[in-house]
Amino acid sequence: MDKRAFAASLVALAAFALPAAAADKLHLYNWNNYIAPETIKRFEAECKCEVVQTYYSDNEELLAKLAAGAKGYDILVPTGNAVEALIKGGQLQPLDKAKLPNVGNVDPAYLNTSFDPGNRFSVPYAMSTTILGYNDAKMKELGLPTNTWAAIFDPKLLEKVKGRVTVLDSASELFAAALIHLGYSANDTDEKRWRQAADLIKKAKPYWAAFNASSYIKELTVGNIWLVHGYSNDIFQANLDAQAAGRPFRIVQGMPKEGAVLAVDSMVIHKSAPRPDLAHKFINFMLEGRNSAELTNLIGSGNPNLAAAQYIKPELKALPAVFPPKDVAARLEQLKELTPAQRRLRNKLWTEIKASR
Amino acid sequence: MTGATLGALRESRWGKWAVAGPPLLYLVVFFAIPTLIMVAASFRSPGEFGGLAPFVGDDGRLDLTLESYVRLAEDTVYLEVFLKSVVYALVTTLACLVLAYPLAALIAQSPKKYRDLMLLLVILPFWSNFLIRVYAWMIILGPNAALAKAVNGVLAVFGVEPVPLLFSSFAVLVCLVYVHLPFMVLPLYANLEKHDRALLDAAQDLGASAWQRFWRITFPLSLPGVYAGAALVFIPALGIFAIPDILGGPNDSLIGNLIKQQFLETRDWPFGSVLSIVLTVAALALAGLAAWVGRRGAEEIARA
Repeated sequence: MDKRAFAASLVALAAFALPAAAADKLHLYNWNNYIAPETIKRFEAECKCEVVQTYYSDNEELLAKLAAGAKGYDILVPTGNAVEALIKGGQLQPLDKAKLPNVGNVDPAYLNTSFDPGNRFSVPYAMSTTILGYNDAKMKELGLPTNTWAAIFDPKLLEKVKGRVTVLDSASELFAAALIHLGYSANDTDEKRWRQAADLIKKAKPYWAAFNASSYIKELTVGNIWLVHGYSNDIFQANLDAQAAGRPFRIVQGMPKEGAVLAVDSMVIHKSAPRPDLAHKFINFMLEGRNSAELTNLIGSGNPNLAAAQYIKPELKALPAVFPPKDVAARLEQLKELTPAQRRLRNKLWTEIKASR
Repeated sequence: MTGATLGALRESRWGKWAVAGPPLLYLVVFFAIPTLIMVAASFRSPGEFGGLAPFVGDDGRLDLTLESYVRLAEDTVYLEVFLKSVVYALVTTLACLVLAYPLAALIAQSPKKYRDLMLLLVILPFWSNFLIRVYAWMIILGPNAALAKAVNGVLAVFGVEPVPLLFSSFAVLVCLVYVHLPFMVLPLYANLEKHDRALLDAAQDLGASAWQRFWRITFPLSLPGVYAGAALVFIPALGIFAIPDILGGPNDSLIGNLIKQQFLETRDWPFGSVLSIVLTVAALALAGLAAWVGRRGAEEIARA
């Protein structure tokens, strides 16, 4: 290629590249697989912008990244206690309600939370519960209960499923489950009760195959693991995968009768958001019933949006772990933030649990 | 660059800096400064919502404390986790040495035209992502895979209960050895390849058996390669967290996992820094020890 042709092609390249580079962009920092692709496409068409997604796999990762000074995200979708940490850490900007007429679609039961009174910073997006998930054929065959935390904590019951059980590799979730099993609140911070919970966990630990937050969906699906402590939408996913693979069993959600942890993920705008205008448009768009329902239908997450109900598949609405009826909802608790001293103490207990034999 | 120009560069002071400057700068920026930040963070308190507490508090007092070090010292559980990690790293290093030595020797003795191909095969696993290879082990070790069925089939013959391979210390060690094996093979090969065959021939002429030739000549001469390989395997194996996270059972939490927890779940940067400093000092001390032993070994050989 001679020099002139090369220069011409560079100009042509720039001409193609420039409009794309100049397009409006919304930076969404989201959980993996937490928005339906068709929803994104419709939003991009509506706002004439491009949605750039980056992903995190837990709230801690999000908080650690932002605490280290990460910038450039417009929207984040953290869980309640992480929203609390972000608000108190001054990381968020207040929402302009005049730009969010669809907030009225949200079930008032999920608004006005203790950590964000009046929803100055956050609007609920979707939710999940931390429950039991099990292989129905195996659990029936062994005659084990699936509606109580005793299933993962009581050595007498665990004996029959030794090595076939995983629990979440998360101190906050496992302590919450143990505290609920002992009859306390998931948010109890009394040291004596924490030690009681730690003892309960240590006694059950020899029967567990692993602390696992990353691969239990697959392990349930292939039949290696029969009982897990996990998130409702992951267990829903495991069943979809098991059915798609033609397995001779189903993966079923077990809502413990003692209660469980409810995680409500909310949309918030980061203080460094380059495009708060697009962020508000996005939040309002996602609060439309149809858009919100698409996510629920895709991943089986709970939905705090009343306008979404008519678009949601009926088989999902029947799942108590996804759409808890009133009596179940009354026993669900959202986790609260801990102080640094409490976090240190819990981590010490957690380390002792991990090191115990 | 030819040898002559390199020599000329080495002679001029400016040339020296021009050559040594960029790597030095790189080390200062990406090694020394983060290490100093870590040391500084270890004397602070954790912030209410992550990060560090403000350096000057509301009451005007500076946030400087030994609390994180005290915390490490007052409880043996951290030492326990640390020792467990050292044991895992040692077992990994020994297993790598035992597996890599014959392989490296075989490559070094092969005809020249095959050596490049064999080395290429050793480093071939690096062409795919580390995590993907670790996840592949989940499939290999899974209870429904051929390996577990074969192992448990043999155990059943002897009347032994079936053992799970996945989510166990065995899985963690197998994968640690697998991931680090090339780091042992390469320095060993680089060393063995330079050995002078004439020494072995002379020993044979003087009546040394095959074992004597290996133990009295080849092995002592290969010690620098052994030390280099051991350091390359031991140090990263000591700090690893992904493998126990993915393949480990409930008892396989190591120091790397503990440090990761401090920065993520617990949001306790000061204590995470303290643990990292302990790990770094231990790794440096062991590398120093290996170098010292290596030098003494070389001196002894020179004397003999």
